[in-house]
Amino acid sequence: MSEAALVGLFVATVQFATLVFLAALGELIAERAGVLNLGVEGMMAMGAVSGFMVGLETGSPWAAFFAAAAVGALVGGLHAMVSVVLGADQVVSGLALTIGGLGLAAYVGRNVVGERPETQFTDLGIAGLADIRWFGDIFFDQPPVVYLTVLLGLAVWFVLARTRLGLALRAVGESAPTTDAVGHSVMALRAGAVMVGGAFAGAAGSFLSLYMAPGWTEGMVAGRGWIAVALVIFGAWRPGRLALGALLFGFTLALQPRLQSFDIEFLGVQVNRISPALLGILPFVLTVVVLVIISWRYRHRPSPAPAALGLPYRREER
Amino acid sequence: MIRPILVRRDRVVPATQAVAFVVGIAAALALGLILLWTSGHNPAEVYERMFDSAFVGTDSLARTLERATPLALTGLAVAVAGSMGLWNIGAEGQMMAGATVATGVAMTADGLPGPLLIAVMVVAGVAGGMVLMLGPALARSHLGVSEIITTLMLVYVAIRVVEWLETGPWKDPASHGFAVIEPVPEQASLPGLFGRANVGTLIALGLLIVFSLAVSRTAWGYELRLSGSSPNTARYAGISLSRKVLTALLLSGGIAGLAGAVQLTGSATRLESGLSNGYGFAGIIVAALALMRPSGVAVAAVVFGGVQVGGQSIQTLGVSSAISDILQAMILFGALVAAVFFNYRVRWTGPAGESLVDEPEEADMAAEGA
Repeated sequence: MSEAALVGLFVATVQFATLVFLAALGELIAERAGVLNLGVEGMMAMGAVSGFMVGLETGSPWAAFFAAAAVGALVGGLHAMVSVVLGADQVVSGLALTIGGLGLAAYVGRNVVGERPETQFTDLGIAGLADIRWFGDIFFDQPPVVYLTVLLGLAVWFVLARTRLGLALRAVGESAPTTDAVGHSVMALRAGAVMVGGAFAGAAGSFLSLYMAPGWTEGMVAGRGWIAVALVIFGAWRPGRLALGALLFGFTLALQPRLQSFDIEFLGVQVNRISPALLGILPFVLTVVVLVIISWRYRHRPSPAPAALGLPYRREER
Repeated sequence: MIRPILVRRDRVVPATQAVAFVVGIAAALALGLILLWTSGHNPAEVYERMFDSAFVGTDSLARTLERATPLALTGLAVAVAGSMGLWNIGAEGQMMAGATVATGVAMTADGLPGPLLIAVMVVAGVAGGMVLMLGPALARSHLGVSEIITTLMLVYVAIRVVEWLETGPWKDPASHGFAVIEPVPEQASLPGLFGRANVGTLIALGLLIVFSLAVSRTAWGYELRLSGSSPNTARYAGISLSRKVLTALLLSGGIAGLAGAVQLTGSATRLESGLSNGYGFAGIIVAALALMRPSGVAVAAVVFGGVQVGGQSIQTLGVSSAISDILQAMILFGALVAAVFFNYRVRWTGPAGESLVDEPEEADMAAEGA
C-alpha cells in the first residue's frame, strides 16, 4: 500500500469519526437526561436532505449546516413532545421517528436526487501545521466541521461535568422525582436535551450530504445513525470514551471501502478478492461484538447507564 | 402562567386502542393532506386513488392481502418478543436470513415434489431466522446486551450477505451477466387464492390464531407475559427468566424467518436483496399499534398493506411513494398520542410559575388543592 493511500485512510478515519461522534454526542446528551432516542437515523436523514437543499439554495455551507441542525432539533422536538411531555413509550416513539424521518426525507428530497452542490466546505489548512508530513493532512487540513465537532465534544464534557446545568441534566437522568423535588423542571431539561441532541444529529447528517458524499440519495445515512446509538453504550455515556469509540468506528468505516485495494493476505485470504458487499458488514459486526464485550466487562458491576434511562416521568405518579 | 398537567383517568374508555388507531389514521391523513397540497397535488384525488386501488374490488383486496401477509408475519414476530417486553427490531434481516436458507435448501433439493419442497423450505426459513437471532438472543439472555441494537445491526449484515450471494457464489449463470440468483424451482410456489393473493395469507392467519391462543390462554403464554411485566414475581414463581428471554427471541426470529420463506415461495420469484422490502421495519409499527396482541396485528397488517398498495398506485399520479412511509409512521405517532389522552386527562393548574427551568412549589400545591 502506498504512503498516499495510508494517509488517505487516516484522513477518512477522522472524517467518519467526526460523523458518528457528532451524532452520538447528541444522543449522549439525551440519554444522560434519561431519554432514549432511537430516531437518530431518521434525524440524520432529515438533516442530510435539508442541509443539502439549503446548500443548493443559498450556496453557503454554513447556512446549510445550521439549517440542518435546526431541522434536527425540530424533528427531535417531536420525540420530546410525544415521549417526554406526553410520556409515551420512548422506544416506540423513537422507532417511529426513524421510519417517518427516512420517509419524509425521501419525500422532501425527491427532486434534488443527483444534483451537485456548487460550493461546499473547504479544508481549513491551518497555517504552518498543515504542511507537516502525514499529520498535516490528517489533523490540520480538515473541513471546519471536524474542528467544530472537537470543540462541541469539549463543551459537552465541560457542561455535563462542571456546570449546574450539567448537574441538573445528569440528575434528571438518574432520578426524575428527586430532580423535580429540588425544583428543576423535568420536562424542560429532558425536552431541551432531546432537541439539542436532535440538532447534533441533524448537523451530522448535513456533514454527510454537504462534504463526505456531496449530494442526496435515499438511504445515504446507511445505518450510521444506529452506530451512533451503539457508540453511546460503547462510550459508557461519557464524552471522552465516546471520542475513542468514534475513532475506532471511524477507522472501520474508512477502512471498509479501501480494503478492496489492499494487496495483503489475512488468515490465508487475499483481502482484495473479498466482495465489497461482504466487507460492508464489517462495521455492523464490529458493533455487535463490541457491545457483547462491553456487557461482559460489566457483568459483575452495576451498569454505567443512567438509572432513569427510558423511564417516562409523570409528577402525579410520583 | 396557567399550566396543563396530565392526570390518570379513573375510568379508562373501553376499546381505547382501536379508537386510538382510528385517530392515528385520521391524523396521518391530515398531515398527508398538507404535504400533498403544499407540493401541488390534489389530495382528494390522491386519497381516492389510494383507497380504490387498495380496497375496492377483488384484485385490489388481493394486492392488499399479498402485502398484508409479510406484514402480519413480521408484526407477529415483533409481537411475540414484545409480549415479554423485548424489542426485535431486526425482523427485516431475519426475513432475509430465512429466505436465504430456504433458497439454499431449494437449490440442493430441487427434485422434491412441490408440497414437500415448500414444507422443507418453510422449515429452513424458520431455522434461518433463528440462526440470525441466536447471537442477539444469547447476548441478551446471558449478558443483558440490549437486543434493540444487536438485532438491528444484523439487518445490514443479512442484506449485504444476500448482495454478495447475488454477485458471486449464487449468481445465475443463465442471467446474461445480470447479478441475480436463479428463480426458486417452479413446483415450489404457493398456490394462489384469488388475484395476487396466495396461500401464504392463510399460513399467516393460522399462525396469528395459534399465537393469539398461546399467548393469552396457555400457561406458557402467561409465564411469558408475567416475565415481561413483573420479572421479580416471575423469578419467585420459579420461572427461569434467561430461558424465557431466549425462547421468546428465538421464536420471534423464527417467525420472521418464516415470513422470508413464505415471501419467497409466495409472491417473490427469487431471492434478491430487495425481498424484505421494509416489511420487517413496518412490522414493528404494526406490532406497536396492536399493543403486541396477535389479533390486533391482523387488523393493523391489513390497513398497512392497503396503505402500501395505495402508495404504489399513486405513483401514476406523479406522487412519490415515500408518502406511504410517512403515513405509516404518522399513524403510529397519532395513535401513540391518542392513547395517552385516553388514559390521562388534562388538568389546568392555577396561576403559578415564572421560568421554565425553575418550577416553583406553588404549582404542586395548586394541583393538589384543585
